Amino acid sequence: MKRYNFKPKTLLVLLTLTFSLGCTEEFLDETQEYNISSENYFNSEQDYYNALIGVYDVLQSTYVNVLLGEIASDNTLSGGESATDVIGFQQVDEMTHTPVNDNLDDVWDWNFAGVQRANYILEFKDKTDFPGKDQIIAETRFLRAYFTFELVKWFGPIPLSGDERFVLGDETTIPRSPVSEVYDQIESDLEFAINNLDYTAPQVGRATKGAAQALLGKAYLYQEQFQESASVLTDLINSGQYHLYGTQGDEDYANLFEYVGENSAESVFEIQYTGEEGAGFGCLQCSEGNVAVGFQGIRNYSGPLFESGYSFNVPVQEAYDAFTDNDIRRYYTILDIEAWAAETGASYSEGYKHTGYFNRKYLPRKNDNLGDTNLTQPNNYRAIRYADVLLMAAEALVRGNIDEDRARTYVNMVRERAGLDPIDSAGATLLDVIYTERRLELMGEGHRFFDLVRTGRAAQEIEGFTTGKNELFPIPLEEIEFSQGNWSQNSGY
Amino acid sequence: MKKFTCILIALVGGFLSVHAQTFSVKGNVTDEDNMPLLGVNVLVKDQTRGTVTDFDGNFTLDDLSVGDVLQFSYVGFEPKEVTVLNDAFLNVVLQTDSESLAEVVVIGYGTQQRKDITGSVSLVSEDVIEELNPIKLENALQGTAAGVNVLPSSGAPGAGISINIRGIASNTVNQPLVLIDGYQGDLGTINPNDVASISILKDAQAAIYGIAGANGVVLITTKSGKKNTAPVVKFDSYVGLQETSRKVPLLNATEYALILNESYANNGEEIPFPDVSGLGTGTDFQDEVFDTAPVYNHYLSVSGGTEKITYSIGGSHLYQEGIVGAEKSDFTRNTARFSLGIDITDELNLTANTIYTNIDRKSINENGLGSVLFNALNIAPTFGIDEEDQEGILGNEIINPLSQIENTFNDYDLNKFNGSFALEFTPIEELTFTSRLGYSLTNSKGKDFLPIANFGPSKVFNNTRSQVNQNRINDNSYTYDLFGTYEDMYDEAHHVTLTGGMTVIRNWGDGLFATGFDVPNNSWEFADISLARGASDALTTSAYVYDTRKLSFFGRLQYDYKGKYLLSGMLRRDASSNFSPDNRVGYFPSVTAGWIVTEEDFFNDSAVIDFLKIRGSFGTLGNDETGATNYYRALLNGEATYVLDGQLINGVALGNLANPDAGWEEAEKTNIGVDLRMFNNQLDISADLFREDRKDLLVAGIPVSGIFGGGAPGAGSPTINAGTTRNEGVEFSVRYNQVVNDDLDFNISYNAMFLNNEVVSVEGTDFLPGGQFGVGQPQPARFEAGFPIGYFYGYRTNGIFQTPAEVAAHPSQLALGAEAAPGDLRYVDINGDGVITPEDRTNIGDPIPDATMGLNLNVNFKGFDLVAYTFASIGNDMVRNYERNQPNVNRASYILDRWRGPGTSTTVPRVTTGATSNMVFSDYYVEDASYARIQNVQLGYSFNGNILEKLKMDRLRIYTAVNNLYTFTEYRGFDPSATGGAAIGGGIDYGFYPLPRIYQVGLNLNF
Repeated sequence: MKRYNFKPKTLLVLLTLTFSLGCTEEFLDETQEYNISSENYFNSEQDYYNALIGVYDVLQSTYVNVLLGEIASDNTLSGGESATDVIGFQQVDEMTHTPVNDNLDDVWDWNFAGVQRANYILEFKDKTDFPGKDQIIAETRFLRAYFTFELVKWFGPIPLSGDERFVLGDETTIPRSPVSEVYDQIESDLEFAINNLDYTAPQVGRATKGAAQALLGKAYLYQEQFQESASVLTDLINSGQYHLYGTQGDEDYANLFEYVGENSAESVFEIQYTGEEGAGFGCLQCSEGNVAVGFQGIRNYSGPLFESGYSFNVPVQEAYDAFTDNDIRRYYTILDIEAWAAETGASYSEGYKHTGYFNRKYLPRKNDNLGDTNLTQPNNYRAIRYADVLLMAAEALVRGNIDEDRARTYVNMVRERAGLDPIDSAGATLLDVIYTERRLELMGEGHRFFDLVRTGRAAQEIEGFTTGKNELFPIPLEEIEFSQGNWSQNSGY
Repeated sequence: MKKFTCILIALVGGFLSVHAQTFSVKGNVTDEDNMPLLGVNVLVKDQTRGTVTDFDGNFTLDDLSVGDVLQFSYVGFEPKEVTVLNDAFLNVVLQTDSESLAEVVVIGYGTQQRKDITGSVSLVSEDVIEELNPIKLENALQGTAAGVNVLPSSGAPGAGISINIRGIASNTVNQPLVLIDGYQGDLGTINPNDVASISILKDAQAAIYGIAGANGVVLITTKSGKKNTAPVVKFDSYVGLQETSRKVPLLNATEYALILNESYANNGEEIPFPDVSGLGTGTDFQDEVFDTAPVYNHYLSVSGGTEKITYSIGGSHLYQEGIVGAEKSDFTRNTARFSLGIDITDELNLTANTIYTNIDRKSINENGLGSVLFNALNIAPTFGIDEEDQEGILGNEIINPLSQIENTFNDYDLNKFNGSFALEFTPIEELTFTSRLGYSLTNSKGKDFLPIANFGPSKVFNNTRSQVNQNRINDNSYTYDLFGTYEDMYDEAHHVTLTGGMTVIRNWGDGLFATGFDVPNNSWEFADISLARGASDALTTSAYVYDTRKLSFFGRLQYDYKGKYLLSGMLRRDASSNFSPDNRVGYFPSVTAGWIVTEEDFFNDSAVIDFLKIRGSFGTLGNDETGATNYYRALLNGEATYVLDGQLINGVALGNLANPDAGWEEAEKTNIGVDLRMFNNQLDISADLFREDRKDLLVAGIPVSGIFGGGAPGAGSPTINAGTTRNEGVEFSVRYNQVVNDDLDFNISYNAMFLNNEVVSVEGTDFLPGGQFGVGQPQPARFEAGFPIGYFYGYRTNGIFQTPAEVAAHPSQLALGAEAAPGDLRYVDINGDGVITPEDRTNIGDPIPDATMGLNLNVNFKGFDLVAYTFASIGNDMVRNYERNQPNVNRASYILDRWRGPGTSTTVPRVTTGATSNMVFSDYYVEDASYARIQNVQLGYSFNGNILEKLKMDRLRIYTAVNNLYTFTEYRGFDPSATGGAAIGGGIDYGFYPLPRIYQVGLNLNF
C-alpha cells in the first residue's frame, strides 16, 4: 500500500473553495424573505384592506349561529337524517345540550376567530397612515362588535383583550369580562363606526352607518336601555335610506328572499355568499356559500324551483298555525311540502322529525353552484332587515314608555306589507302584538330564541327550557379545561 | 479468519499433472476498491494443487493449460472461477460477500466492517432486492429487516408507502430520514434495480445524523462500477399478471332483498320487495370492478471500470395497471442513471452520479366514504351494471362504482433529477477530506377533470359544470457535506478514527394551483386551464412557497483496542430554520460500545462459537419535522375570501397559530445487543433490546383555546412541544445457512420485533383525536397518555340482548341514540354508574402490531433456486368502516348470521330500519387484523457454463414468481395491511384498495 505525496497547494485550493461557500447561522435567516409573516405586515392601505377582507370572511361562518339559533327556538325542530345526524343540533333542539357539543364549539371558535382577525388590524392600526384609514378602522370595529355581540348573546361573559390579539397563555390569565363590560366595548365600537361610516358603502356588502346604528339599537335593546335604543333606531329610520321591500316601484314581496331580493333597500346589513367556490365537509367555515341553506334543504328533493338538502331546521305545525290565513308571509316563510308536491309533482323523502314544513326563506334555490353543492348555496343572509329595525324601534318605544303612536306606525308598516289590517291596540296588548309580529316577520332567520330569552318568555314557549340555565349556552368543555380554572362554567351546566 | 484458510489449504496438495503445451500464469487479486488481497487461495479446479497470494496480492501458477479453471476463495468474499485462456496476466477482483463479517457497511459519514459495528443496523442487500423484485423499494424492507414495518397506504399502483422503524413516536411525521449516497432523498421514487445496498440505522448510532434522525435513518447506496472490470451488461425483465387478493363476501340480490324486507318489517314498515322471486343473484359489483391487469419491468445496465475510472449506467421502464379501474389507476416509471468515479490524481477522487426519474400515475377515488370500492361494497346488487340510483334510495354518497370509474379523469406526472458530486481528497493515507453535494430537483404536475355528471338525485358527486384542477409543484433540496476522516493505528493496538465536519441542508419549493370551469366539449381531451374559464370571471388560483434550512456541525471518535474493545462517541450541533433564532440550536450526543468476546485469549479455540459481540448504545437525536414549517411565526396564509359587489375578493388572514417557543423534539435511544455466529458461521444470531423515549414531542395541530382564532378559515392550531412517548421492545434475527454439497445449499432466516408503544403524557389537552368513523360520529382514534398512539376509543360490547328481560336488567342505552331492544348490542357500563353514556367509552384496540416478523427461505439446487419471503403482523386491529349505515345498502354476508330471535346470535345484531344504538363506534366494528402473508415465492433456473459459453453470456436465469401469494387472516375486509398511514386515525378501513397478487415470469441476463 502506498503513501501519497502530500500536495499542500491542492489542499489549500480545496479548503479555500469550501470556506468561500461559507456557512454561518445567517444561512438560516435567509428564509425570511420568502414569506411575509404576521408581524411585518400593514405597510400600505392595500394591506389594511386585505386584512379587512379577512375579517369579513368570518361572517360567512356565522351561518351556524343562525341555524342553531332557530333550532333552539320553538319555531322549528332539528330534523336531519336520524337522531344521531349532527348530534349537536339534536341536543340543542331538545334542550339537552351539554358543554360537549361540537356545534356550540363552532359558535365559540368562529366568532372568536372574527374577533381575533379584527383585533389583528386594530393592534397595528397606528403603523401606517393613509387617507381613508378611519373608514377601514370603523368597519373593523363594526365587525368586532358584530362577533362580540354574537358571543355575549350565546355565552354571556367572555374574555376581552382590548385592541390586541389574544396570545397563547391569555386563556389562563384573562378573565371573562362581565356582560356590561362586553356591551361597553360593543357600544364604543359601534359609536365609532356610526361616526366614521356613510349610509352608502364603498362596495356592496361592506358595513354602513345604518348597519352600525341598527346593531347598536339592538345591543341597547338587549340591555333594556330603551331610550338609547329608540333614539339610535329612530335616527336610522328617519335617515330615509331604507324601506320595506315590496312597497316601492316594481318590487314584489315574493322576491324578498329570492336572489333578486338580495342587497335590497330593506337590507340594513347582509352577509354575502356565493356558489362560485367549491367546499367540503372538512372545513365548513371555509365555504363561500351559506352552509345553513343546504342543511335546511328538502331531503332527496327533485322538482321545480328548489334544490335538495339535509332537511334540518324544520318548522313545526304550531309555527305554521301562528300565521293567519290572510298573512301573505306564511307562504313565503314556510313551505308546505305536501301541498307543494301535489301542486308541482315534486318528489322528496322524509327525514328525522319530519313535520311536512321547510324554512322556505333559506331553502336552496336552483342554481349552478359548485360542489359540494349542499355546502355552497349562494343565498345571502339578511342579518338585519329594515322590518327588524322597525319592530325593534316599536318595542323600545313601548317598553320604554316613549311613544306608542310611533310604535303603532312602525308595526303597522310591517303588517301592511304582510297584507294585514293595521292595529290600534295599546299598552300590554300592543307589546304582545309587537312580539307576535316579530316572531312572524323574522321566522326562520335565527332571532326567535334570543328574543324569547331577553323578554323572559323562553321557559313558557320552549319545551325543555330550564330557567336559570338555558338563557345562555355552555362554555365548551375544552375551553374550561384550557383555561385551567380561569373561566368558570355558565350556571346549570 | 485463519480458521477458514486452514480448511481450504487442506484441499491443497497432490500431484502434478503432466500435460502438453503447459505455461505459467501470473496474476493479481484485489477487492472491489482495488486493494490487494493477501492470502487468497488459488486452486486449479479438479486438481489438488494451488497457491496463495502474497502481500501485494500477486500469485504465480505453473504448468497450466488452456481450459484450466482457477478457483479463487477468500474469507469474506464471494468465491470466483476464472478459465485460463492463455498466459496473459490475470487481474482478479473479488466481490465482498454481503453476509460476511468483513462486509463494509455504510454507517453515515463513513463505513465500518460489519464485525466492528456497535450500533443496531439492519442490512438489505442487492441480492435480497433482486429476489424480492419489488415494484417499490419500500416493499423490499418488509420482513427482511428486523424492526422495520412497511405500511402501504393503498394497493393502487404507485401509491405511497410509509415505513416505521421500531414503532411510531410522533403524532405526525414518523418517516425515517432517507439518505441516498449521503444526500436527503425519497424512497418512493427510486428504482429498486438501482440500489446496491440499504443500511438502516435504528439506534443512537444514527445520532451522527442528529437532525431529523430521530425516526431512524435509511442509508441507500446506489450501484456503481468496479475498477479493472470488463463491461458487464445486465438485463433484467419480467412480465406479470395481477389480480385482487381478496373479495369481500357480500349478499346477492335475493339475500339482499330478504334482509331488507326483514329490516323494514322489524320497524313496522312496508317491505320493499314483496316478491323476491326472479331477483336471482343480481350484479356482483366486485366482479365488475376488479380486473386482471398487466405489470412489466425492464432494466438494462452497463458497468465496469479501468485503472482510474469506474462507471455504471442504467435505465428502466416499469408499467403497472390497476386491478381497479385498469388504465385509470396505472403507474409508469422510467428511470435513467449514471454513476462515474474518476481518480483525478492519486490524492483526488471524483464521483458523480445522477438519477432521472419520470413517473406517470393515474388514480381513482380510494379509501374514503364514497370511494370506488366503498361503493362497490354498498351498492345494491339489484342494480344493473349501468344503472344509477335514480330514486336516491342509497343516500347521498353511494353511487354506481362503474359510472364513477368512467367519470374519473386525472393524471399526475413527476420528473426528478437527483444525484451527487463528491470530491475525496487524501493528502496522506490516514486522512481523507470529503466534499459532497447531493441534490434533488423535482417537478410535478397534476390534473384532475370532473365532467358534468349526474349519478342520481342529490348525490355528492353530481357535477353541473365541468371542472378542471391543475397544479405545478416544484420541490428542491440540496445536502452539502464537508468532512474529514483521520484513521490511524498506534502501537498496533489502538485503532483510532476521527471524523469531523458540517452539513447544510436546504429544502425549498413552491406550488401553484388553478381551477377552471366549463371545459370545452365536457371532455378530458380539452381539460386544460388554458381552455377553461373561471367560475364567474377569473380562474381560482392558489400557491405556496417554502424554504427550510438546516445547518449542522458534528464530530465522531471511534476507537478500538486490538479489535476487541470498541468505543465511539459522537456529538452533533444542529440548527433549523423551523425554529425561532432563540430556540433553533440543539446538541445531540451519543456513545456506543462493543466487546468482541471471541477475540479474547480465553475464548481461543471454541469449536462451536465463531464470533460473539456484545454491544450497547445510548444517545439523543432530534426532530424538527412535523410536516409544517416555521412553527414560531404566523404566516399570512389563512383564507380571506369574501363577496363584495357580487365578486369574490381575496384578502389576507393569519394562517396556523404561531408558537414562538417551539423547540427541538428529542429522542433518547438506548439499545443493548448481542451478535453471535456459530458452527462455522452457519448460524448467525442477533438480538437487541431497545427503548426510545421521545420528549418535547412537537405536536402539530394541538388543540388550543378558540379565542386565538385557530378556527378561522385556513387557520389552525399551533405546533407545541407537548408530549412524551415511549417505544420499547425486543428485536431478534437468526439466520442459518448450509452448503450441503456442491449441488445444494440453502439458508433460512427469521426476524421479529416485539413492540410496546405508549403515550406517556400530552400537555394542554386530554387527548388528540383523529380518524373518521361512519358519518357525523366522534373521531374514533386518540393520542392520549397511558395508551398506544392512535388507539381506538369506543364502547365495549358484551354480546347481544336476547330477551326483554335482559334489556330491562341492563343499564339504559338510551343516551347512545335509542332505547335497546332484544337483538341489539349490549354495551358494557365501564364506569359502573348504572347508565350507558359516552363516559363508558374505553380502549377497544389499536392499529400498532405487537409483533412483526419475517421468515425467509432460499434454496439452491444445481441450477435451480427457490426463494420464499413471508411476513407476519400480530396484534394490529382494524376498524371496519366500509359499511354505510343506511337502510338500503348491501351488506357483507356475515349479516346472514344476525340475531332473529332469542338464541339465534350472540355476535351479529338484528337488522332494522328503526333507530338503534348499534351503529355507535364499538368493538363490534374493531377487528383483529393480525395476518401472515406469503409475500413472494420465486423459482428460478440458471443455465450452466456450456450453454452460457455458446450464448456468450455470463449469466442467464429464468424465473417465475408469485407476489403476495396468500394472506392468512381473520380480518373480513380487503386487506389487513391497510393503514392509511396516519399516526392517529390509521387502521380505519373504508374499503382499502387491496394489494394485488402478481404472477410473474422473468429473465436475468448478464454478458
